[in-house]
Order: sequence, then structure tokens, then C-alpha cells
Amino acid sequence: MSFVPGLGIVKGMAITLRRFFEPKVTIKYPEESPDVAPRFRGRLQLLYDEWGTLKCETCFQCAQACPIECIDMGGIDTRGRYHVHWGPPETYGERREESALRRSGRPVPDRAFHHFQPVDLGAVDTILDEHDHDPKRMLEILEATQSAYGYLPVAALKQISQKTGAWYAMIYGTASYYGHLRFEPAEDAAQATAVAAARPPDASYVTALGAALGGANGRPGARGRS
Amino acid sequence: MTAISRSWNRLTLPGKVIFTVVPALVVLTIGLVVAIAILGGPALDLVVANLPIVRFVVAATAILLMTIPTAFLIIYMEMKGIALMNLRIGPDRVGPFGSLLSVVHGLKVLMKEDFTPTGADSVVFTWAPVVVYLASVMTLLVIPFGPGLVGQHFQLGLLYFFAISGLSVVGLLMAGWASFNKYSLLGGLRSAAQVISYEIPLVLSVVGVIMLAGTMDLVVIVENQAGWFTDWYIWQQPLGALIFFIAATAEANRTPFDLTEADSEIVAGFATEYSGMRFGFFFFAEYVNVFIISALTVTLFFGGWNAPFPWPWPITLDLNPGSLGIGLLFVVALVPLALTLILATPFWLVSSRIKGWQALVIGFVLANLFLVGAVAAAGYIGFDWVAGLAWFMLKAYVFVFIFVWMRGTLPRVRIDQLMNFAWKWLMELAFLNIFITAGAIILIKYLNPEALP
Repeated sequence: MSFVPGLGIVKGMAITLRRFFEPKVTIKYPEESPDVAPRFRGRLQLLYDEWGTLKCETCFQCAQACPIECIDMGGIDTRGRYHVHWGPPETYGERREESALRRSGRPVPDRAFHHFQPVDLGAVDTILDEHDHDPKRMLEILEATQSAYGYLPVAALKQISQKTGAWYAMIYGTASYYGHLRFEPAEDAAQATAVAAARPPDASYVTALGAALGGANGRPGARGRS
Repeated sequence: MTAISRSWNRLTLPGKVIFTVVPALVVLTIGLVVAIAILGGPALDLVVANLPIVRFVVAATAILLMTIPTAFLIIYMEMKGIALMNLRIGPDRVGPFGSLLSVVHGLKVLMKEDFTPTGADSVVFTWAPVVVYLASVMTLLVIPFGPGLVGQHFQLGLLYFFAISGLSVVGLLMAGWASFNKYSLLGGLRSAAQVISYEIPLVLSVVGVIMLAGTMDLVVIVENQAGWFTDWYIWQQPLGALIFFIAATAEANRTPFDLTEADSEIVAGFATEYSGMRFGFFFFAEYVNVFIISALTVTLFFGGWNAPFPWPWPITLDLNPGSLGIGLLFVVALVPLALTLILATPFWLVSSRIKGWQALVIGFVLANLFLVGAVAAAGYIGFDWVAGLAWFMLKAYVFVFIFVWMRGTLPRVRIDQLMNFAWKWLMELAFLNIFITAGAIILIKYLNPEALP
């Protein structure tokens, strides 16, 4: 087609005039609402940024907020620390069953973690037996686990979650709160053992630290993260 | 009471002035009319003796008052029209279909703080919007709205129009300079450059019409276009009309040539430092300008107040209500009532779900519509100026809609494109238009000496 000056303007004007008479897309929210299922919460999807990196910060808020626990934190977080899988939507039904099991207090078989990081979970079971499967003694359990494995493997944390009934999100929160707990095996094993050897066997250093900081009961301040 | 005093205290000084002066003016006008009616003779003699002055005052007042609803209407048209083109609903909260939103905006602007920056030349700063506004409004004086409906009928109407509308450049420069802000100054200079550049093709494009009409008298130009719509100057001056429309768009600072404001790129150009009602005047002037440009386009190229067809064919309404004598009173008293009842009856009969009072309300509304329609139709047939005004307004608002439509469609041009277009294309085309028109006139006069004036 030959170029006619002003043809583009005419075309554009025609488009806007057509739009002028078309039905409008605005939804007057408080008066009318879009027609969706009552429990619809939007699509569950992890987003990637423009470099193809997962935007998920592994903050576990979504898993904690999910009313039917169909969100199971997993995948690989931004630091490449995890492999638990998010899973396709077809497995949400399974998750719901698991959730029901978990809430009923029975152990839930988790097929997700076996094939990525096989760890011998015997030590975890022993530790849990020693601590009476008590989620309120989570810090001790985690410390014991760390001294057994040298770090906190995801599989062990999952096992702890299943056995104690504590949410994985909470365990992760506890573990990431304390600076001395780590999720990776120490690069320098010798240094790691040296640190472990230098650390007092009991929790007396906590008392010492708390006393130094002037906290009550030999504990550091409630929000302090020294 | 406290609510009133609180809102009164919130008003800025100009707001207080306007809220005092306008009601005072209304009361004064009513008082004057009553006084003239009572005193009769002497007052009327005084008015008749100074008829030109009275006529001018009335015309100026009417035009100043007319700008307010015009601007409100155009602002509403713009908000609603662009929203509809964007597949949005647009304003729909205040008034029917949101039509009062622009009024509310006006009140908001009135109550805002009117701020003068430190170091600004406050006198010039204050007068700049007035100059811009008056330069727009004063041009309305010579625009013929209908037969006999022209503020001042004088023979250099078109020249006056361009002279006065050129004054707005002064206002823009005043605003830019007095703001004490280098960006405002740059904005003012840029607007001045744009407006002055486009004034040249604007004026040149009209020369063709002036040659055809043989006069600069806008009323005569309109009268020359009477008859069918084929007599309009658009058919003899298509190029001139196109150049005029484009140049007028730039002159009124409308998209795609709205570089003076360019809301999304520069802050507001010369109006950066303005707030409150002084900014409101710039805003007002812009929208009044849109109407004026549309009105002038209609006047020059689209037949002004003439209908596109010679209709109504002379119908003479031989109504003489006075001949009914005392019966007139009964007619006036009974017709609305009877009409209401007559129009309500079918609704009442046709459905048992419509209650009696609902049927009466429907009948009342319909009767009102009918009567208003009848009065309008009688006015249209009986009075020249009603028909002329109706056609003129219709055509003018079609062009206003085209401006809104363009704003909803076209992106802004760059400043160099703008200048190139004015100086390299529009001006040359305008000259070409003049030469072609002149040649055609000479040719036609040579062939048929009685064809043209």
C-alpha cells in the first residue's frame, strides 16, 4: 500500500472512535465485584525476575498463611540452599491430605526430600527421642542436630517438622534466627570442628553472654541478635 | 452555622471575593431590573440614550458568564470522552453521569491556597492569568452566534480576533517571567515560540476566505455561506481549512501540540508556579480557547449559524396568544395539568404494577418534556436566532469533540517537529493556498464578471 500522509492519524482516530462505543472494562468495585469463586485467592505461582532468577525470598510467609497448607515451601531459594519442591497444581490435593494427616498428629510420609539429599536420619530420631519430641525445645534440638551433622540438612529439618508437629516454617524461622546455626556444611571442616571444640559443651556461653549484656535470667534481650 | 463559618474561613482571598461579589452582582442586577420596571420612563430613557454602551456591557457580561459553563462542559466532555476512548467509565460520581465533576473541580481550585513564590514579581504574576484569560474571552465578542447574536458587529472582526488572540502570548511570557523560576521562564519562552510560529500559518490560511468573501466582517462571511451545506467555504477552501485547523490546534495548545503544558514531560511550563484560582484561570482560558477555536472554524468554513439545508422552509406560525383574552389564563393553568393526566393514564391502565402516583410522576415528567420540546420547536421555527444558535452550538461542539478525540488519540510531537511543521510545511501551504485562491478568483471573474463579489 502506498504511503498516504495522515493515514496513520486517520487509522488511530478510527480506533479511538471504535473504542468510544465499545463496552467498558471498569468494575465499580464497592458496588459490584468481579465474578470469581468465593475462595479464589489468585493463582499460585512463583515469579522470576528479568535475569531468570526466582524472586522468592524464602520467607515462608505464604506457607504459614495458607489455610489448607497446600503451599509447601521448597524449590531453590535465592541463595541456592534448598531443594524442596513447589510442585505442580495437580499435587495440591495430595498436599491437602498431608495437611490433614499432619494436623491429626500422625506422621506424614514426605516423598519430596528423599531424592535430593539423602541423609541418614537415625541421628535426628535419636536426638528427637532424647528431647521427647517436644517442639518447645526446638533450639536444643536444632543445636544437637547441628552438632551431629555439622550443619542443618533440609531433610533433617523436615524430619523434625514431621516428628514434632512444628511447622517447617517455624523451624526455619528459629534456625535462621540464631547466628550459630547454619544450613550449609562448613567449607572448612577443620575450622568448623575447631569452633565446635572451642564452644562450651553446655549452654553456659549463653548465660555468660546474657550476663555480659545485662539481660534477665542470663538470657540476652528478647529481640537482641548478637 | 459553624459549618458555614468554618468553610468561609477555609476560603482563600479570591474565593472570598468571588463568593461575595457574584451574589452581590446577582442581587444588584435583579434590583436594577425591578427598578427599571418600577421607575419606567426615566430609567428606560437613560438606557435608550446610551444604547451602544449598554449593548457592549451586556455583551461583555454575557460572554464572561458564558465562558464558565462552556469551560465546565468542555472539561467534562474531555474527562468523559477520553475515558470512554480508554475503555474506562470516567467520572460518574458527582451529578448525573458525573457531569458536575468539573464544577466541583472549579470549587476545589477556588478553595486552594493561592501561592506566590518568594521573589516573584507579584503584580505581573497576578496579572498574567488575567491577560491570558481576557485575550481568550475578548475574542468571543466578535463571533456571531446567530443572526443578531453578535457582541460587537464590526467590519474588521477577523483582524480584531487575531489581534486580540495574539495578546495571549504576552500573558504567557508574563507568567513565565514573573514566576522567578528559570524553568517557568523557559516554558514561557517555548510557548511564545510555538504560539507565534503558528500564528503565521493561522492568519495566512484565512486570507483565502477573506478574498472569497471580500470582507473581514465575520457576520458577512457567515451570511455568504447561507443555503445548502455545499455553499460552505470548506468546499472552496479545503486546504485553508486544514491549515487553519492544525494551526488553531497549536494555537490553543491542544494535543498533539500541547508542548506548553506537556503534563507528562515538563511540569507545566509557564504555569509551574501557579496554584489556586490563578492556575484555574490558565486552565479556564485553555478550555475557553478550545471553544473559541471551534467556533471560529465553524464560522469561517462551516457556515456559522446556517443550517446545512435551507430548512425550515418558510413556515409562518400565526400564533397570537393574546387573542384568547381571559381564556389564556385558563390555558396556561390547565394545559400542564391536563397533559400530565393524559400522559399518565396509559401507564396507569397498562400495568397494575405501576401505582397511581408513579403514573402521575411519569406523566408529569413526560408532560414537561413535551412542553419544553414544544417551546423549543416553536422557538426554532419562530425565531431566527434560536435556530441559528442551535446550529452554531451543535457545529461548534462537534469540533470540540474532535479536539477531545484528537487528545484521546494522538501522541505529542517533538518541539523540532513542531517548528519544522509550522515553518517548512504549513506556511508554504498557506501561501500556496493564497495563490491558488487568487488565481481562481481572477479566472472566474475573467470568465464571468458577475460571479463573485
